[in-house]
Amino acid sequence: MPEGRRVSQRESNSGIRGGLVRRLSQALGAVTALSLFGASAASADSLNMLVWEGYADASFVEPFKKESGCDVSAVYVGTNDEIFAKLMAGGGTYDLVTPSNDTTMKLIDAGLVDPIDAGKISAEPDFFPMLKSPPWLSKDGKTYGVPYAWGIIRIVVDAAAVAEPPTSLAFLWDPKYAGKFAMWDDIETLYEAARYLDIKNVYDMNDEELAKVKEALLKLKPNIRKYWTTAGEMTTLLQGKEVIGGNAWEETLVKMRGADHKLIDVVPKEGRGGWSDSWMIAKGASSNVCVYKWLNYVSSAKAQALGHAITGFGYSNSKMVDFLPDDQKKSFEELGMTNPETLKTVSWWQPVKQRAKYLEIWNQVKAAQ
Amino acid sequence: MEDAATPVMTTASVAVAESTGISPGALKAKKIERARMLFWLLPPAAWFFVFMILPYCMLFYYSLGSVDYVVFKPGLSLANFVRVFTTEPYLSVMLKSAKIGIYTAILSSIIAYPLAFYLAFHASEAIKRYVYLLVIVPWWASYLVKAYAWKTILGTGGLINASLLGLGVIDHPLTLFLYNEFSVTLTLAYIFTPFAVLSIYAQLERVPTSLIEVALDQGATRMEIFRKIVLPISIPGIIAGGVITFSLGFGDFVAPALVGGADSIMISNIVINLLGAAYDWPMAAAIGLIIIALGLGLITLAHRLEHQFQVRF
Repeated sequence: MPEGRRVSQRESNSGIRGGLVRRLSQALGAVTALSLFGASAASADSLNMLVWEGYADASFVEPFKKESGCDVSAVYVGTNDEIFAKLMAGGGTYDLVTPSNDTTMKLIDAGLVDPIDAGKISAEPDFFPMLKSPPWLSKDGKTYGVPYAWGIIRIVVDAAAVAEPPTSLAFLWDPKYAGKFAMWDDIETLYEAARYLDIKNVYDMNDEELAKVKEALLKLKPNIRKYWTTAGEMTTLLQGKEVIGGNAWEETLVKMRGADHKLIDVVPKEGRGGWSDSWMIAKGASSNVCVYKWLNYVSSAKAQALGHAITGFGYSNSKMVDFLPDDQKKSFEELGMTNPETLKTVSWWQPVKQRAKYLEIWNQVKAAQ
Repeated sequence: MEDAATPVMTTASVAVAESTGISPGALKAKKIERARMLFWLLPPAAWFFVFMILPYCMLFYYSLGSVDYVVFKPGLSLANFVRVFTTEPYLSVMLKSAKIGIYTAILSSIIAYPLAFYLAFHASEAIKRYVYLLVIVPWWASYLVKAYAWKTILGTGGLINASLLGLGVIDHPLTLFLYNEFSVTLTLAYIFTPFAVLSIYAQLERVPTSLIEVALDQGATRMEIFRKIVLPISIPGIIAGGVITFSLGFGDFVAPALVGGADSIMISNIVINLLGAAYDWPMAAAIGLIIIALGLGLITLAHRLEHQFQVRF
C-alpha cells in the first residue's frame, strides 16, 4: 500500500546496518534465538507476520485460527523500508511480510524471501490475469509472492470547475488553474509528470529524462496549492474547497460521493499508477505448516471480502466482489475495480534503481520558489 | 565541564598535601573523597557518553559512507558533505529554514516582550499567577491540535475569511492566509512564544526597582528609563529566547507539512525523507552533523553576546 496511508507522520525506524552494527545485531539475535529455543519449539503451529495495518484484522484472522489451529501474531509496519530493514537485520522471527510492488524485487534480489509454490494456492486461478505471477514478483522463472491488496492513484477534479471531463493529464498544467490543485507528496507525482511527457519507462529514467520531468514539475508548481501527505488531508482540502483537484486515492473519491460538489474520476489517456501488495514468505519459513494454510486462506474470495470491509482496497481475487454487501459492491464497481480491463491500463509501480535521485529531484521541485 | 575539572584539582591538592607533609590520615580521607567524587561523576559521564558521544560518532560513521541500491557501504568519503553544499536543494532549504527560524524568533520576541514587561512590572501577584498560567497552559494541548486550529482560522472557510465575507470587505474567500510561509511562521511563532516570554520575563525580574526609583527621582521620563535601564538589562533574555525560538523554528517539520504551501519544505522534512523513502542515511547524517555544527556556532555566539550585555549589580 502507498506509504503514509497509515498515520502519515509515522516514520520508519528502519535502519541501514553497517558491518559493525550488523555483526552486533547478529550476535544479539543469536543470543535471543538461543534463549527462545524452548519457546519456539513449543509454538511450531504459529505465524509471525510483518504487515500493514488491516492485513491481519481479527474479523478474518479469528476464523482462520479456529479452522487451521494456527496461532497468528502480527506486527504492523509504517513503511516498506521497515519491512526491508527488519528482514535485512536477520529477521528469523517473521514468516510472512506484505511489501508493495516497488519493494518486492529488492527483497528478492537480496535473497530474503522464498519462492512460492502456486500449485498450493487453490484460489490462484480466480486471480485477475494481471496479478498471476506479475513482473514485480517474478525472477528466473520463479514467483516470489502472492498478490493481495491493490489500488490505483486517481486523478480527480471538481465537475463544476471543468467544461467537460478531461481525457488527458494536460489539464493539470493549464495556467487558468493557478493555485487550484493538490498533489501527493510522493514520487508517484513525479511518475505522473513523466507519463504526461510520454516517457517510456517512468521507473527507469535516465538523467536527461529526469531533467525534463523536473522542468515539467516546476511548470506545474504554480498550479499547486499544497502537496498532501494522507488521503484524509486530500479529502479535507477538496471538501473545504481549498483546491479543485489533483491526484488522490480511492478513499477520497468514496468519501466525496455524498458531497454537494461532484468529483470526476478522470481516466487520462497517459494511464495511472498502481500499487499492489503481496504476501511473501521470509527465507526458510516455507517449512512452517501454517504458511501455506494462511496463503490459501487469504487468497480466498471470502477472506478478501472481509479484508475489503476494513481497508476499502481492491483485492487480487476477482470473485471477491461476489461476497461484498450491496453498497460496497456498488461503490467498488463504480471505481472500475471489478473490471479486468481497468487493471490492464494501470502502470504498476516498479522498484526504481535511482530512487534516491528521483527523491532528490522531488525535493528540489518542492524547494523551488 | 566544571565537574570534569574537579578530580584534577583533587589530584593537585593531594600532591600539595604530599609535598607539605600533611598527616597520612588526612591523605587517606582525601583518597576516599576522590573515590566518592569519581563515583558521582560516573552517571553524568556515562549519560554523556551513551547519549551524546556515541550517537554522534555513529552519525559521523554513517556520514562518511554511501548506499548502494539496498546496502549501506562504510567508507571514508566526504562526498556527502560536499553534496550538501553543491547539490540542490540542501543548502537553499537550510537557508530557507534559517529564514523561517529568524522570522519565528523576531515575531515571538515582539509578541513576548510586552507580555513579559507587563508580568514583571505591572501585574499584581494574583494576576501574575493567572497570566503565567495562561502562558503555560497551551503547552498541555498537543502541537498537532494547535497547528490544525490555525487551519480553521486561516482557511478559505475559516474564521478570518468568514468574518471578512460577513462584513462585506471581500466577495470571495481569500487564499493568501493559509498554505504559505506566512502561515508557517505564524503557527511556529504562536507555538514557541511561551519560551520567549519566560526567558525575557526571567531577565526583566532582575531589574532592581531601586534603580528605577532613583532614575525617577532624578527626573528621568518613563521612556528614558525603558531605553536606558530596562531594555539594556533585558537584552540577554531576548537573545536567549531568540536562540530557543530560532532553533525550534529552524528544526520544525510539522508546521510546513500541515500549514505550509507548495514550496514550504524545510530541512527536517528533507532529513525525514532521506531516512525513510530515499533510504539515504549517509546523506541524512551529513546534514545532521552540519546542523549540529551550526547550532554549536550559534550557541557560542549567543553566549558571548549575552556576556557582553550582561549587567551585574
